[in-house]
Amino acid sequence: MSNLKIDVKGETCPIPLVEARKALRTASLGDIVEITGTHPASKKEIPMAVEALGMELISVEENDGIWKIKIKR
Amino acid sequence: MLNNYTYLDNASMTRLDERVLEEMQKCFFENYAIPTSESGYSMGIESREILDNSRKIIADTLGTSKQEIIFTSGNTESSNIALKGTLMAWTQRKKRENENNLNTEDKIKNHVITSSIEDFSVLNTSKSLEKLGFQVKFLDVDPDGFIDPEDLKNSITNETIIVSIQHANQEIGTVQDLETIGKICKEKGVLFHTDATHSFTRLPLNINKTPVDLISISAHTIHGPAGIGALYIRKGTPLLKWMDGGFQEFNLRGGTENIPGAVGFAKAIQLVNEDENQRLLKMRDHLIDRILNEVPKTILNGHPTNRTPQNVNITFEYVEGESITLHLDMRGFGVSTGSACFSRSLDPSHVILGIGGNPERAHGSVRLTLGRFNTMEEMDAVADALAQVVENLRKISPLGMK
Repeated sequence: MSNLKIDVKGETCPIPLVEARKALRTASLGDIVEITGTHPASKKEIPMAVEALGMELISVEENDGIWKIKIKR
Repeated sequence: MLNNYTYLDNASMTRLDERVLEEMQKCFFENYAIPTSESGYSMGIESREILDNSRKIIADTLGTSKQEIIFTSGNTESSNIALKGTLMAWTQRKKRENENNLNTEDKIKNHVITSSIEDFSVLNTSKSLEKLGFQVKFLDVDPDGFIDPEDLKNSITNETIIVSIQHANQEIGTVQDLETIGKICKEKGVLFHTDATHSFTRLPLNINKTPVDLISISAHTIHGPAGIGALYIRKGTPLLKWMDGGFQEFNLRGGTENIPGAVGFAKAIQLVNEDENQRLLKMRDHLIDRILNEVPKTILNGHPTNRTPQNVNITFEYVEGESITLHLDMRGFGVSTGSACFSRSLDPSHVILGIGGNPERAHGSVRLTLGRFNTMEEMDAVADALAQVVENLRKISPLGMK
C-alpha cells in the first residue's frame, strides 16, 4: 500500500480531475490518493467522480482556499 | 477502471473484427510477396491476385470497375490526392496549352468549392490550396448541416475546377444529397469529389446512381485496419501523380502495396450488412430519444433522421463537454466532444459553429458513435450515466444553470 500525492494548486477545470483520474488509474487497490488544489468546482467534482466509481472518499478538508481530498482506491 | 469499458467513439476508430485479422494474417505469413507480373515467381503472382480481388470487392460495392480504384493510406491521403492531384493536373495542362499558344485567351482556372463543415482532410487541404493561389469557396450550411444546392449552383463559375462535398459529416452525421449535388456538377461540367469516410457501407453509394468523379473511403471506420483507404477515380479524370516512386496503383501512387491492409479492408466491407446497419439505427434512435426525453436543456446536433445510423451528437447546455467525457470515462464510457480543450486543435468544433451554434454549444457537445460491438444494454447504461453526470455537473456548473 502506498500514498500518492497530487498537487494541482492553481490549476482549473478539467486539469484537477484529469490528474486525479491519472493517479487513481496507476494506484493499486487499497492505495491512498491525496489531491491538493485550489479550484472550487474541482473540490465538488472530484468527490462526485469518486462516488460514481465506488471508491472510498476518506476526507475533504479546506484551509485558506486550499483543499485536500483523500481517496482510497 | 477499464473493466467493462463501453467504447462509443467509432467515428474516430473502430475495434478490428477478428475475422478481418484472420484474413490479414495470411498475407503476413503465407503470401507476403509483392505483386509481380505473370512472368514473376508464384508467390508474387498469387499476391497480385489477392490484391486484385480486394480491389474488386471495393469496386463492386461502389458499382465501378477495379481499374478505377486505387489503394491509399486512408481517407486523408485519398482526399489529398483527389483535390491536389486534379488541380495540379489541370494547371499543368493549361500551362502547356498557354506556352504553346494554343489557347492564350483562356485564363488558368483556379476555383474550388467545398463546405464549411468538411473533415480536416478536405478542409485543411482546401486551406493549403488557398495558400498555393487557388480561390476556395467554403459553402455555408443550414442549422441541420445541409448545403443549399441553389447556393452551390450559383457559386460555380467558369473558373471552377472541382467541388468537394462530403457524403456524411464526421461529427453530426448529417447526410448530404449527393445525387442533386452530383447532377449540378455534371450539368456545369465541373469535377465532383466526395469524402465518404463516415457513410461508406453504412449508407448506399453507387456511382451509377450518383454522378461522382472521386470518392474517398477508409477501412478504419468499419472495423477494418487503420492505415488503409482507397480513392475511386472515374475513368478519364485528370489526375497528377504526386507520390512518386514505382508504378504501383496504375502508376498513380508509388509505394509498395499494403496487401494485408487491402485484404483487411475488403473483408471489413464484406462483414457489414443491412441487418447491422438497421441495428445501429435502432440503437441510435433509442439513445437519442432517451437523452432528449430524460435530460433537460439538450439540443440534438444534426438532422433527426437524415443522419448516419451510427451517429449521436447532443449539446448539454450549461455543461462543459470535457467534464462530461471525463466523468463518463470514469464510469466506463468512452465518448468524444466538440469542446475546445478535448481536440488537438484547441478550437471549438468548426462543425457546431458551422451549423450556427455559438462556442458554448460546441463546448457542451458530446458525440457518441456506435459500432458493431455495441449493444442496446450499453445504450441504456450510457443514457443513465449521462443523465446523472449532467445533473451533477449542472449543480456545480459555473456556467449559470443551477
